[in-house]
This record gives sequence, C-alpha cells and structure tokens, in this order.
Amino acid sequence: MSSETREATGINYRKLFKDPWPYWLGGLLLGFLNILMFTTTGSPWGVTTAFAHWAAWIYQAVGGSVSNWAFYQGANGKALAAGFWSNAQSIQNLGIILGALLATLLASQFKFKKIKHWRQVVAALVGGVLMGYGARIAFGCNIGAFFSGTASMSLHGWVYTLFIFLGAYLGSKLLVRYLL
Amino acid sequence: MAEHRLDCYGEACPIPLLKAEKKMKTLAVGDTLVVLTDHSCAMKNVPDWARKQGYDVDLEETGDGEWEIYIIKNH
Amino acid sequence: MAVGAASKAAVQAGARTRAGSKVKRNQVPYAVAVIAVVAVIGIWLGGQKPVLGLTWIFGILFGFVLQRSRFCFTASLRDPVLTGSTSLTKGVIIAFAVATAGFAAIQYSAVLKGAEKIPGFISPVGIHIAIGATMFGIGMVIAGGCASGTLMRMGEGFAMQWIAIIGFMGGSLWGAHDFGWWSAHFFQNSPAIHLPSVLGWPVAVFGQLLLLGILYWLADRYEQKRTTFLS
Repeated sequence: MSSETREATGINYRKLFKDPWPYWLGGLLLGFLNILMFTTTGSPWGVTTAFAHWAAWIYQAVGGSVSNWAFYQGANGKALAAGFWSNAQSIQNLGIILGALLATLLASQFKFKKIKHWRQVVAALVGGVLMGYGARIAFGCNIGAFFSGTASMSLHGWVYTLFIFLGAYLGSKLLVRYLL
Repeated sequence: MAEHRLDCYGEACPIPLLKAEKKMKTLAVGDTLVVLTDHSCAMKNVPDWARKQGYDVDLEETGDGEWEIYIIKNH
Repeated sequence: MAVGAASKAAVQAGARTRAGSKVKRNQVPYAVAVIAVVAVIGIWLGGQKPVLGLTWIFGILFGFVLQRSRFCFTASLRDPVLTGSTSLTKGVIIAFAVATAGFAAIQYSAVLKGAEKIPGFISPVGIHIAIGATMFGIGMVIAGGCASGTLMRMGEGFAMQWIAIIGFMGGSLWGAHDFGWWSAHFFQNSPAIHLPSVLGWPVAVFGQLLLLGILYWLADRYEQKRTTFLS
C-alpha cells in the first residue's frame, strides 16, 4: 500500500471511528433507528422499564416479592417471570452499553474514569433515584417519554418536554451550587 | 503569554466547561488555558464553546481517552 | 527525516503529538474481541427468538451512534440556560422531526388497516407527568447523564454512571412499588391524548413538524444572541 493510500485510509478511519460525528448526524441516525425499531419490533425505543425489572430481580433474589404490586400485574409480570435473557429491553440496554464500549475501543479512546470526590457518589445516587422514580410515574425517561412519546404525537410527550426542561433548569442550579 | 493548566480529569460533564469558562475570565489577553479532560463530551463542547467565543482553539489527544484543549485568549 | 515520518504516522493515528505526550495504546484488538462476543450473543439470542436478536442489534447501534456523536439529551436541555449552547438541542429537534414523520406513517398505516389501538407510546397525561418529568430533569443533570446517557457512559468506563445506575434501579423499583397508588389517584382520571386522533392527521402531523421547525429556528437565534452578548 502506498503511503498516500495509507494516509487516506487513515484519515477515513479517523472520521469514521475517532473524531466525533456532528450532532445533526447523531440526531438524524437516532431518529431513523427509532423508526426502524418501531416498524420491526412493534414498539418505539424505550429504556427505563427494564431498570425496574433489574431491581425487581435483585429484590426477589434477596427474598422480596413484587407479585401483588399493581405495576407487576399483566405484561410486566410476565416479562419479569420470563427473566433477563428473554426481556427485549434488558437485552437492548446491555447492547447500548456494549455499543458505546465498542465505539470507544475502535477509537482507542477507552479509559476507566474513577470517582474523583464523594460528592459525585451522592449526586449519582440521588440523581439516579430521581430519574428512576420520575420515569415510572411519568411513563418514561428522556427516550421513552421525551423522545418516543413526543414522536408518537402523544400530548404526554409534549407535557414531558416542558417539564424535563424545567427540571434540567432546577438541576443546573443545584449543580452549580453544590457540585462545581 | 502565560499558560494556565486546568486539570479536569475525572470531572463529570458539564464541570470541565463551567470551570473553563470561569478560568478564562481571569486570564490576561494573550494567555493560554490548557484544559485537561478525559470526558468524551467535554472534548467536543469545550472547543465548541471556545470557538463560538472567538478564541483560537487547538485540540490534542494525549493519551487513551485523554485530551488537552488549548484555548488562546486572543481578545 | 525520522521526525517527519513520526509526525506523518501520528497524523495517520489521528492526533498530533507534542513533546511529552503519553504513549497511546491501540485498543482495536479489544474492539475485535468485543465484536466477537457481540456476534456470538446476537446469534444465540436470535436463535431463541428473532425479536431478541433484533433488539440486541438495535441496542448496539444506539450505543454506537450515541457515543460516536457525543449525543447527550441532558445537555440538549441543560446547556441553553447553563452555557447558552443549543447545538445539541438542535440535534435533538432533528431526531424528533425525523421520528415524528416516520411514526406518523407507521401509525396512519395501522389505522388504515383497522388497528384497534394506535401503535406507539401514548400515555395518560396529567400532573404526574409534570412531577415525574421534573424529577427526571433534575436527576439527569446532577447524575451527569440521562437514561441513554447513563448506559452510554457505563460502556465508556465512567465509574460515576455505574453508581448512577444503582440509584436508577432503586428509584425505578420504588416507583414501581408506588405505581398502584399513582394509578388510583392520578392515571385512572387522566386521558391518553393522541393528537392526530383529536386534531385530525394533517393538523397534528404538520403542526408538530412546524412547531419543531420553529423551535429549531428559535434555538439557533437564541444561541447567536447569547454568544454575541458574552463576547
């Protein structure tokens, strides 16, 4: 291979796998992927229902029971009984983790980033709990409700949009005050 | 023409950008701020912000998942 | 000559090097190993049930695209106020517009085929959405990532997100536990409103796309204003 070819392929590898893609391209692709997912699986993209299942499986493993919870009647109950490897969303979420890992490794940009201060631990836990609870009562997260709900032209999606924006504003105030 | 280094390794987004913004205000014209980050979002949003402010920006990958962002306060 | 070759090689590797840079490792062999694992799991899952193999691939693709484009829904909502930047906001609007168009087509064709229930995520709207979405918005900003962002950053090696997911799971279980209460007091009295069914398809679909277009334009103008003011 001539050095020009090696350089040209090098630059293409860089654009494909190393340099960040523009945001508009990410948005375009995510929109298309969501449509594709909707057509082929019957449901649009969602992320957080699986998190409840993961926690429920752990809860059951340590002796807890969710069988008389309203949330775990019907479809959710069946999904829980079928287990992780039969749950489409759990599989998808594991795929998201690995897809991101793969992208990072192909760019040779993987680095394990340790916790820097204890405030990060508190913020991550408190923030996580808020997101988990909020997503249950609002029928979704930034993906299931904000993205897919709005794209489904459901009014709840637009209401979600307004209030997730408000929440982000409030969260920013907390961030600057306590975490900067 | 001083160079100021801002170590943001291990900081979560948007901390590197917020710290960079704060620090830039204290620099004299002609000084350079070097932001060290290992956050994949920050290596994009910090240079984007700096360019929009009209500063000269240079981005360098200095290690696996580590970047140095050179921002020259030219005005 | 050696310097010239070294810097040319560095350009090919994708970065300029200054004196004192650390040695960078080539992680592509690890990537190949991950691809192999992904393929094996994908084939096994597809054999169990085709839809599982499919969602596996979608997961991989979502994660890949999110990471490659540094796509952060959190930043799209946080940055306009915090830093004045709306570039991610505009990216999100593009995603919404594309998805709206496709979803409209999917829903409309289902209606034409006489579907009883309109496909998609159409949920009861009420004060619970306001409360839950606000909680989610606060949480995602302080945790350093939303739902997709948390998964993406777990894959990127951020210990903080491996902690966040624990909180996320706990909060989800707590919410699942309280779901019955919320259902009795809020969901049951809240209608699920599908805009095209109420406003008619042309008004709803084109209205939504128009609104997204206006939001895009506003986001663009807003960033210009904020940036010129600052400099």
